[in-house]
Amino acid sequence: MPETEATPVVMTVTDAGIRFRRNRRGRRNFKDLFAGRKRRSRPGEFWALRNVTITVRAGEAIGVVGRNGQGKSTLLKLVAGVILPDEGTVDVRQGVAPLIEITGGFVDDLSVRDNVYLTAGLHGMTKAMVDARFDEIIDFAEIGDFLDTPYKHLSSGMKVRIAFAVISRLEEPIILVDEVLAVGDKAFREKCYRRIEELLASGRTLFFVSHNERDLRRFCTRGLYLDKGALVLDAPIAEVLARYNAEYGTA
Amino acid sequence: MSSIAEERPHWSPFARYRHALWLLTRRDLRVRYSTSALGYIWSVLDPLVMSGIYWFVFTQVFQRPLGSDPYIVFLLSALLPWMWFNGAVSDSTRAFLREAKLIRSTKIPRTIWVNRLVLSKGIEFLASMPVLALFVVFSPGSAINGDLVLFPLAILMQTVLTVGIGLIVAPLVVFFRDLERATKLVLRFLFYASPIIYGTSNLPEELHFWAAFNPLTGIFSLYRAGFFPGELDWFAVGVSAVMSVLILAVGLLVFRRLERSVLKEI
Repeated sequence: MPETEATPVVMTVTDAGIRFRRNRRGRRNFKDLFAGRKRRSRPGEFWALRNVTITVRAGEAIGVVGRNGQGKSTLLKLVAGVILPDEGTVDVRQGVAPLIEITGGFVDDLSVRDNVYLTAGLHGMTKAMVDARFDEIIDFAEIGDFLDTPYKHLSSGMKVRIAFAVISRLEEPIILVDEVLAVGDKAFREKCYRRIEELLASGRTLFFVSHNERDLRRFCTRGLYLDKGALVLDAPIAEVLARYNAEYGTA
Repeated sequence: MSSIAEERPHWSPFARYRHALWLLTRRDLRVRYSTSALGYIWSVLDPLVMSGIYWFVFTQVFQRPLGSDPYIVFLLSALLPWMWFNGAVSDSTRAFLREAKLIRSTKIPRTIWVNRLVLSKGIEFLASMPVLALFVVFSPGSAINGDLVLFPLAILMQTVLTVGIGLIVAPLVVFFRDLERATKLVLRFLFYASPIIYGTSNLPEELHFWAAFNPLTGIFSLYRAGFFPGELDWFAVGVSAVMSVLILAVGLLVFRRLERSVLKEI
């Protein structure tokens, strides 16, 4: 899908920054907490991400590249709206299907069936919409015999499979993928990748975090290179990978 | 493979909020009732046993004239709402901690994590109303009057108050874990400081004015008005209404201020 100037912008990140405390044990006091987001950075804090500005158009497939702890997952979480920036704005104009911590929404004590309806419902699907997709979700997860099993009795592979099946069926225009697919056997991983390709082909926008160069080249056209919490390079994926390899000599 | 992205319904923010709130509330109730055999019985049994104890202690042992007759109706009409208040506030201390995984992976308005507790406990409260009705019907000497229409007003005020307190407690506990135990302690104190086992009229005269500043005083007097006309105290109700709205406003403010930090912390 070609991205022209005419393609609608689905997301703008403007000067976004977020800081975290370095040690979780540090004492908090009321003054700190209520100081709001204008206050200056304190000694025990660091910026996980700062001065990041991105514009994303519908249908783009973006790979996020960087070493561990350079802010990749933080960027994804900001886009997913599960954390809020301390500086700047993150404006996401369309729905997001986050494949981040995907099993997080599932409740141990409820059956697989109830969990599917609950998770899809929390992401804004009506019961009728889930009904229409239910069989396909179960087929995809290859989990048909366990519909009424409490979620906690599933194997960890099954848990991820059912979670992926649900989230990837949310029909949201933006998909975020954060290395979740490292779990699960090879056959299922390939199945997930094919699903992502299908979604891309139907015009979805993709945000993909991975350390696997082959996967990045397979899905993405544009790359973002994050280093020390800053956006170092925003360019076609080949260029970004070349720079990353040059600096950190993986390859 | 079709591009069905357009098929998604267009939710108004309010409809979306209601939808998510209802889903989570139903989940709460379903988990509670699917994991215990007695389910509903438990939510009624607890206040019943408590009432039985108080009834025995205060009418059979001490024979001290407290509240009004029939005492069991008098007790239940405040004890059942108290169970709702107590349950929702003490659960709100774990509102974020218990659901951390879900909160980290779903983007829904964060006040839902508190409101769903108030709602699910509220539904349990409504489900326990038949018990109160039974005692009203079968206790000799009990009567109802037109003030029973004030019952919904009491429910509304209690909702406002409980949501307000939940919005203050839930985010603060994330940073100050001690608050969890402190809340439990305050709740225990509040049980005796509120007119539940006694009526406001049992208090010494000079305390009447100050008792009104416990917002629960006015609320419980509304609940009781339908059975015991003498319990209705409009001054207490007025103070309680103002306090409840004030607490809700503070709650919203605190919550908005802390939301950002809470999301980082959990």
